Amino acid sequence: MEELRETYITPVVPLDFTYNYRVGQYMERFLNSLKDKKLMGVKCPECGKVFVPPRMFCGSCNQKLDEWVEVAQTGMLANFTVGHVVLEKGARLAKAESPYVLGLIKLDDVDSLLLARVEKVAPADLKKGMRMKAVWKEELAGDYSDLDHFEPA
Amino acid sequence: MRNVGIIGVGYTPVFVSKRRDVNIAEMISEAVDAAFRNTGLGPEDIDAMVFGNMQTFEGLNLPHLWASEHIRALGKPIMRIATGGTTGMSALHAGYYHVASGLHDVVMVITYEKQSEGDSQVGLAGIITPEIMTMLSLGIDLTGGTGMGGLGGGSAGGVSFQANSYLNRSGATIEHIDKMAALERRNAALNPYAHLKDPDATPEKIAQTPLIAYPIRFGHVCPTTDGATVAILACEKKAAKLADKVAWINGLANCASDATTGNLIEGLITDPGEQRPCMIAAKKAYEMAGIEDPQKEIDMAEIYNGFAHQCLMFMDRLFLCGEREAHVLLDKGELEITGRIPVNPSGGVVSTNAIGTSALNRVTECALQIMDKIEGGHKVQKDVHNAVAHGWGGLMQYVTVTVLGDKPRKR
Repeated sequence: MEELRETYITPVVPLDFTYNYRVGQYMERFLNSLKDKKLMGVKCPECGKVFVPPRMFCGSCNQKLDEWVEVAQTGMLANFTVGHVVLEKGARLAKAESPYVLGLIKLDDVDSLLLARVEKVAPADLKKGMRMKAVWKEELAGDYSDLDHFEPA
Repeated sequence: MRNVGIIGVGYTPVFVSKRRDVNIAEMISEAVDAAFRNTGLGPEDIDAMVFGNMQTFEGLNLPHLWASEHIRALGKPIMRIATGGTTGMSALHAGYYHVASGLHDVVMVITYEKQSEGDSQVGLAGIITPEIMTMLSLGIDLTGGTGMGGLGGGSAGGVSFQANSYLNRSGATIEHIDKMAALERRNAALNPYAHLKDPDATPEKIAQTPLIAYPIRFGHVCPTTDGATVAILACEKKAAKLADKVAWINGLANCASDATTGNLIEGLITDPGEQRPCMIAAKKAYEMAGIEDPQKEIDMAEIYNGFAHQCLMFMDRLFLCGEREAHVLLDKGELEITGRIPVNPSGGVVSTNAIGTSALNRVTECALQIMDKIEGGHKVQKDVHNAVAHGWGGLMQYVTVTVLGDKPRKR
């Protein structure tokens, strides 16, 4: 190894990317139904499992999923974490203003878990199995953020 | 299909956070030189090369071609493999296919990462951004409040759910994760090729580090490392001619579940703690290697653990203990270098993470233990006849397993 020095020649390569991915047919239908305060899922014709958010295929059965069902907006807290940092610009980490709760919600009669913010419960009071209900934004735009958070039911 | 053995290993002289004294290709050449030095072989002995590193981390798409002279590959077959965190082991598996098929007799597997040369735009975002499409299509919004859940600082967000799920099912506590992290940092202190070393690490010291996302603390998380690793593989005939000691690749497998935090194949969907692909891959690899009872026949393990809980979590997924047993073995001291089933004597990924090398280092560390060629103080005290190496990554759901032995598989 060469002896360590204070400085080296390291030219900066300035790159700034913008991508515009299409979200896909399934998520588009899911997002559009948020405008009507509906949570839509798809049901597997073989195993009968219901997926929210919807997926195109049931990987276990290798079945294409095209039976759409509206699902309940209540369920239970299946898993949670308490965030102490946030992402900035999709990449950098910064300290959160205050700890916040993210949960995996098992909606009633749904077989998948939905990632959502959880509010109105202190981190110390979080418990797996707590009953939860969906809370919507006042103005709906057909966007991911329409479903604002879940809170104890 | 022919038997394939590892006949030599080469590392860069150090694994550290910044190797500013060399560029990427120069750094890689050091590990190639080390492999030649350790085996007495030269470029003329190598039939083909497999190259691996994490996609996008340094923003390079063709590092294997940039470094083709540095790795002495001109005029030879070469390919690059990139499967995320598991890249190093996938590259090894590709090298295995080259030799087992009969196409080539001696193959060099080269992996590296020089994380210090990507900034967070091209490093973290570079690996995250291309997956945004996947996240969005699964209902995880990056711009909204749940972005951290899917990605959180590389993978700390999703991994926190995984750790919590593991604690729930196993009965282990956050203190066990502290204890595992401390054990690995102490092991790392004995390994000349480890990065984060702390001979005096204690669970209490780890417990003082700040929480990132419950139950993951800063002290549970791997560093970003610069380094390179090379392994040379050979068929049985060539191994007998070229090597005094060989670690045989007796079983290998990989398996994926569905994307992101999901585990569709196991019932309760999106529990990132299930890691059923690990069980499927392990079962196949043990079967191929002729291992009937891993708890009795496997002497040590190197487990991919970017986060300290994963070592414990994957122990039962690799059938090295019962489902609620890993933390109990930890408490009894059985996972230590002096213990009954030493796990990550190298210090693991949680101590050293030059990502492209990380899953290969799990294999080379097992191989060096079997060949009795460990440099430094982390040689396990028992004889190692069979060992298991594990890789994890992808979108949280991709696992590779390699079973190594001191004797070639019977056929």
